[in-house]
Amino acid sequence: MESSLSGDDCPANLSTLGPFCSLIGHRVAHPADVVLAPRTAADKMAFSDGKPGCIFDHHVQTAVCDSRAKYRESRRPRAVKVYTINLESQYLLIQGVPAVGAMKELVERFALYGAIEQYNALDEYPAEDFTEVYLIKFVKLQSARIAKKKMDEQSFFGGLLHVCYAPEFETVEETREKLEERKAYIARATKSKDYYLTKKKLVPEQKGTKDSRQDFHSHIPGFSTAALNTSENSSPCLPYSCELPLCYFTSQTTCLPGDHVDRASNSCSGGRNHGELSKHCNLSAFSPELHVSTYKNALPCSSMQEAVTTSESVGRFMPRTTQLQERKRRRDCDRELGTFSETNTSSNEVVIGPKLPGLPPVDLQDDSLNTTANLIRGKLKEVISSVPKTPEDKLEDMYTHPRKQRRRI
Amino acid sequence: MAQKPKVDPHVGRLGYLQALVNEFQETESQDAKEQVLANLANFAYDPGNYEYLRQLQVLDLFLDSLSEENETLVKFAVGGLCNLSPDKANKEHILQAGGIPLITNCLSSPNEETVLSAVTTLMYLSSPGTGSHPELTSLPLVQCMLRFSLSANIRLRNLAQIFLEDFCSPSQVAEARSQQAHSALGIPLPKTEAPQQP
Repeated sequence: MESSLSGDDCPANLSTLGPFCSLIGHRVAHPADVVLAPRTAADKMAFSDGKPGCIFDHHVQTAVCDSRAKYRESRRPRAVKVYTINLESQYLLIQGVPAVGAMKELVERFALYGAIEQYNALDEYPAEDFTEVYLIKFVKLQSARIAKKKMDEQSFFGGLLHVCYAPEFETVEETREKLEERKAYIARATKSKDYYLTKKKLVPEQKGTKDSRQDFHSHIPGFSTAALNTSENSSPCLPYSCELPLCYFTSQTTCLPGDHVDRASNSCSGGRNHGELSKHCNLSAFSPELHVSTYKNALPCSSMQEAVTTSESVGRFMPRTTQLQERKRRRDCDRELGTFSETNTSSNEVVIGPKLPGLPPVDLQDDSLNTTANLIRGKLKEVISSVPKTPEDKLEDMYTHPRKQRRRI
Repeated sequence: MAQKPKVDPHVGRLGYLQALVNEFQETESQDAKEQVLANLANFAYDPGNYEYLRQLQVLDLFLDSLSEENETLVKFAVGGLCNLSPDKANKEHILQAGGIPLITNCLSSPNEETVLSAVTTLMYLSSPGTGSHPELTSLPLVQCMLRFSLSANIRLRNLAQIFLEDFCSPSQVAEARSQQAHSALGIPLPKTEAPQQP
């Protein structure tokens, strides 16, 4: 749900406050203090000289541009801003959170977009009356990007959230990693582009792959990143945006073995319900090289809906048939997980995957990613093979996915 | 107000980028220039566009815009360069076009984002360790980075530290440090105050 936007309507909180003062030892009195749950101390974050936690220019919401030429107007009103890798960060600053003791709900809402490593309230950060400011550190930058894009200007408990990056909280090492990842991503993206261009006369499926990838993007128009000020005729954008459905898909699975899991589960700390957050753990490093070659358009959409149902605080209407489909899919997922270590023999069809030497290898250079990709392939095979069913399967389906005759109104 | 060029909405990405470039070159409005440049700089984030951007000579457009008086244009242009410089082909193009001095000039900008983008771009243009472009480890530049590494601005400090650690040899850093007292301290640190109250 997107509220109508206008740069002028957004309260310019920061400019109405008194002059900024050093944060050390200064605590802004908050009427909401009494209702807040116990929170981790703000000095857990990278405070070296008190600078993080100040207002920075990049925290201030820039006014929306209203003088754009029609041909380059965007779907949503946007400010004139350039996003570079410097500005983006795994740390997000969230302002405008109504002080109603909803920290848990806020974190849960953001956790939809990826594993959260750390979060805390920034008591000292200047905020409007009856609102709070939070800092959320995602494990992955990509999660933060998506979360920012999705949650900025969203309504939350009656208030409008303003979400921005907070790179000043990064350590040197985190900044270094961020820059290197960006470089690696571009190297991969350019390399894979060349790969596709040169190999397009090979397997026809591969060509279809590229097309389906492009279709996939066009089916999810909202996924053009905040950085891209694209117009209506935007063609396929960042491979980054491929990763989101994968994230949602894996968010339902239990943690699979792999070193990424240990890191993720160790870092999901903070004195809160660990089990709840591990549900949303991103298990694998996002690799834009994830050729969504076996993706069909239906799957990402249902994955997205699935992510919605995981959050109880987001009350969206979902048709019952979709819910039934989701439940069945989840059951199948769990079943597959149970038999994960064995080869997927649920059908008599040819196994698509690393075992098949004929196909070009889609090695994602990561164990857990490969695992996930295998799961997806298995799932897709099932979907594809759902037409020539055995009577037994058909019967099972009848109970879970009743193919009633639709009532004609 | 910006002009409205007659663009067929179905021409696709290349056509759209072409329209942007045209508008940038033809318009008189500073607002429109800023908007278009920001648009192009954001497109430069996506590797999928690099072929088009090279074809339309947007890299040169960015480099040219570094000399603009309008600081916003400089900020956007160097941001665009920062976005696309990790790519090998783009990097070579920038180096061949003599981009290093232009970007190094941005280090003296009063705008925080401009400086940050410039430092990052220089890092992406370098190769780690020895063997990088000699201009990228020149004494004035290393000295500048040394100053930045002492800045109160955390982001700048972090970036400068990475530059010194990963792209300069210890001897270069030591030499810069020893000559610190004699260097021309003409490179001011960017302002980092909070937004002023009305």
